[in-house]
Amino acid sequence: MRHILGIIIILLFIIGFSLVLTIAGNYILPSQEIRSLAKYYLYLAYNPWHRNFTVMSPEAVTSIVWDFRGLDTVFETAVFYLAIIGSIALGRGILKYSKPEGELGLSLIVKTVTKISAVMIIAVAASIALHGHLTPGGGFQGGATAAVAPLLILIIFSHYYLLEKGVTKDLMLFLRSLGLTGIGIVAIIVYLIALPQGIHAYVLQNQPKPDSSIGLPAYINGQLISGTLWFFNIFEFFAVMAGFTIVFLLITIPERAFKKEGEGEKQ
Amino acid sequence: MLTYEEIMLLVTALASLFSVIAVYYAIMEKNLVRAVVFSAIQSTLYAFIYYMLMAPDIVLVYIPVAVGLYPAVILILISKTEKVEKQ
Repeated sequence: MRHILGIIIILLFIIGFSLVLTIAGNYILPSQEIRSLAKYYLYLAYNPWHRNFTVMSPEAVTSIVWDFRGLDTVFETAVFYLAIIGSIALGRGILKYSKPEGELGLSLIVKTVTKISAVMIIAVAASIALHGHLTPGGGFQGGATAAVAPLLILIIFSHYYLLEKGVTKDLMLFLRSLGLTGIGIVAIIVYLIALPQGIHAYVLQNQPKPDSSIGLPAYINGQLISGTLWFFNIFEFFAVMAGFTIVFLLITIPERAFKKEGEGEKQ
Repeated sequence: MLTYEEIMLLVTALASLFSVIAVYYAIMEKNLVRAVVFSAIQSTLYAFIYYMLMAPDIVLVYIPVAVGLYPAVILILISKTEKVEKQ
């Protein structure tokens, strides 16, 4: 009863506040004009007639995230990287632990369903990441989706199953470092290509700029890859997927691995 | 008759109102497992709102993180501690 009264009070407050806002909207109208910066972003996201300014990606969000405001995303990835390093530091000093006897994980039905759905999750995640420059999505979205598959396997098949299949913390750490290194290289790759030719270029440059005539190809064999965006999405996919998987591997380590010899036996 | 736009806004408003109820129960619930389920319901409703507000990029990152990964991590942590919140 107390709960229902509380909910009714909160809902009445929200509905009343919405009414006040609706009435206020008649007097203070927000501007209907699109801001000039937004206009430029929308105009230049995919515009083959302005090759010196465009990103050549029909996905406006990805072109903002990885090109117009690319530096923000690179630092965001670095912050994510550091957060994972923090959780690895928390999981240090783990003793060796062995697989317990007997059947692990959930029932056979759940395991069979997971075997099918895990493959489908990975497929959807790959399509989200690889089509990030064409349709909504991108590296982070794809990586977060792909990380659901190891999480399901961890819970339904047990921690040891994933380790036996070779998905260890060290491998994921390697993949994640590879992803971040890739992002770093892609960020300066146009500069590295331009350097021997004596042309100057910018960090995080994708397509040619007015005073720098070099850029990555927007099409490969007739397929739109939008220059650096496709590579950024792939490397971000690996960095995020491996990063999340490390956290799940650490979280599901059995408690006895943190206890000293003999102490764990009491449990 | 309601136009297409009005139906979209109506669904958004209803989803946000129901999400408030879910949040209330998630906070007040003493059983932590049920609280996580309420939190996941709130996340699902938020995913609908993001979709209605035409932000498919956010939906794609919100569904795996807020509906899948986050409740799962919290459930693993709850399984290692106690299932009921004490005063």
